[in-house]
Amino acid sequence: MKNESIEFIMTGRRQRHRRWILVTSSLAVLSFILCCAMLLLGNTIYPVMDVIRALSGEQIQGASFAVNTIRLPRMLAGLFAGFAFGIAGNTFQTMLRNPLANPNVIGITTGSSAAAVFCIVILHTSGAIVSIASVIAGLATVVLIYILSRGNSFSIGRLILIGIGIQAMLGALISYLLLVGAEQDLPAAFRWLSGSLNGSEMHELPPLMLSVFICTPIVIMLGKHLSILELGEQSATSLGVNTNKTRIMLIVSSVCMISLATATTGPIAFVSFLSGPIAKRLVGVGFSNVIPAGLVGVNLVLAADLIGQFAFVARYPVGIITGIIGAPYLIFLLIRMNRRGEL
Amino acid sequence: MKPTHVFQAEEIVAGYDNKTVIQGVSLAIPSNKISVIIGANACGKSTLIKTLSRLIKPISGKITLDGKLISKIPSKQLARILGLLPQSPIVPEGISVADLVGRGRFPHQSLLSGWTKKDYEAVAEAMRIMDITELANNNIDELSGGQRQRVWIAMALAQQTDILFLDEPTTFLDITYQIEILDLLTDLNRKHGTTIVMVLHDINLSARYADYIFALRKGKLIVEGEPSKVITSTLVKDIFGLDCLVIKDPVSGSPFTIPKGRYHVNDE
Repeated sequence: MKNESIEFIMTGRRQRHRRWILVTSSLAVLSFILCCAMLLLGNTIYPVMDVIRALSGEQIQGASFAVNTIRLPRMLAGLFAGFAFGIAGNTFQTMLRNPLANPNVIGITTGSSAAAVFCIVILHTSGAIVSIASVIAGLATVVLIYILSRGNSFSIGRLILIGIGIQAMLGALISYLLLVGAEQDLPAAFRWLSGSLNGSEMHELPPLMLSVFICTPIVIMLGKHLSILELGEQSATSLGVNTNKTRIMLIVSSVCMISLATATTGPIAFVSFLSGPIAKRLVGVGFSNVIPAGLVGVNLVLAADLIGQFAFVARYPVGIITGIIGAPYLIFLLIRMNRRGEL
Repeated sequence: MKPTHVFQAEEIVAGYDNKTVIQGVSLAIPSNKISVIIGANACGKSTLIKTLSRLIKPISGKITLDGKLISKIPSKQLARILGLLPQSPIVPEGISVADLVGRGRFPHQSLLSGWTKKDYEAVAEAMRIMDITELANNNIDELSGGQRQRVWIAMALAQQTDILFLDEPTTFLDITYQIEILDLLTDLNRKHGTTIVMVLHDINLSARYADYIFALRKGKLIVEGEPSKVITSTLVKDIFGLDCLVIKDPVSGSPFTIPKGRYHVNDE
């Protein structure tokens, strides 16, 4: 009897774990395929061997430039930014127990983006200053939202509405800065308003890559804490989670990643918003959602960029495509929250 | 059997923001017994149990476990001795019963490890005590209120603490489920020696199931002791402001309170 019940629980849990492994590895394989597609596809399609030889450093007429200078940085920017957006979005959504509470909707990425625009378009700086400014602006936006939404008691509905307001304000600020500083520069405008992988350059990537390599393990290690935070403040405290410390660590790691992703690709619309819920649908709830959400982010960004590049007569930046997918979901969630009386 | 612990509160004052609710309470929780905190609405029962289970930091006063301040004990270590079932726990959408109960194992697990044999045993044991084993792989969203409450208690049991606080574990439940939950908690206390401290609304069920009663009024502890000694019509009048008759419960022999309202009272 005793062993039977353990066996019964174990069987169910193993099944859910198998599903997790299957889904996560499928997402990883799909990401890999999309990465390859990003390198192989373009104006000219070079033979696979040429692409591989170009990547390994051989000089091949045409292919070397197209692959190493244009496609590789574009692919890497999409890969790392997608992963960062996915993980950070999922962290916020799980921690605050609401899919609307993600850095994209509540204006954190817009804050980072505004800082990056200010540095690049107005001050004409680049490199470390842009990275630092965007991380500080991201964290400052979090603090601002927190202060404004505090009130008498904490309400997630209020936090989201205030975040949406801040997002709109910062969006307007970005438009203004672009109007003043980059009047003729449409690609730049696109990048900073909705995100784009166009014109990504190798030298822009190290801060983002570094932050992903440092922050992802932190978030993964805190994955169990995150799933306990999801049970609410009281249960989490009685289960021995130091809630304030954990939240601060999760927020800082997430914001570092997305701010640097934003400084690299712009705030690619809705990726941080969609990744968590999609991953949850796919893998279920019992196991950590962190890595699946990151991989969904990668797939979303790369697939949307490929669609934007090749599916239409004109080329569209990735953010336009993810925006088209994400906006209806945002409206759906707002309507549902309103019906349930949560707003 | 669970070890005995000395859990004491000394002159604690506690509350929210600038409103003090608990105004200087000192008490010692009887180890390996069932204690029930009773009192009228807004008398501070819930605040007291939250303060004792360290959800609220007291404004002043000391809470000690075996002589050590609970605020000084590392939170995970404390979570292996002291558990709490909050009044309205939050359910993550779509989680299976076993996975939710398993979250109670958090204080026993390391950062990255999966479930160990011990974890499985503890989860199975907790679910067996709460009689929800067959629901293990069901989705929590599919369960009734009574079943959910048993799942929550099972999660607290999987934590395998020596002391368990429960904030109104029977609220919103039908009388049948209320009795069922209280019986299960009594099993837990009798078979495992778990110290139980809970807030209950129903004074008669409190009197029947408690080994020890703490009666609160306006944030102060006014009476404590065994139900048969402390529950009297004077006490009920004192804490609830209600006239009543206290008789012997014909089923359990514990004190039974019969309220007297303005109507339906015989004039003999």
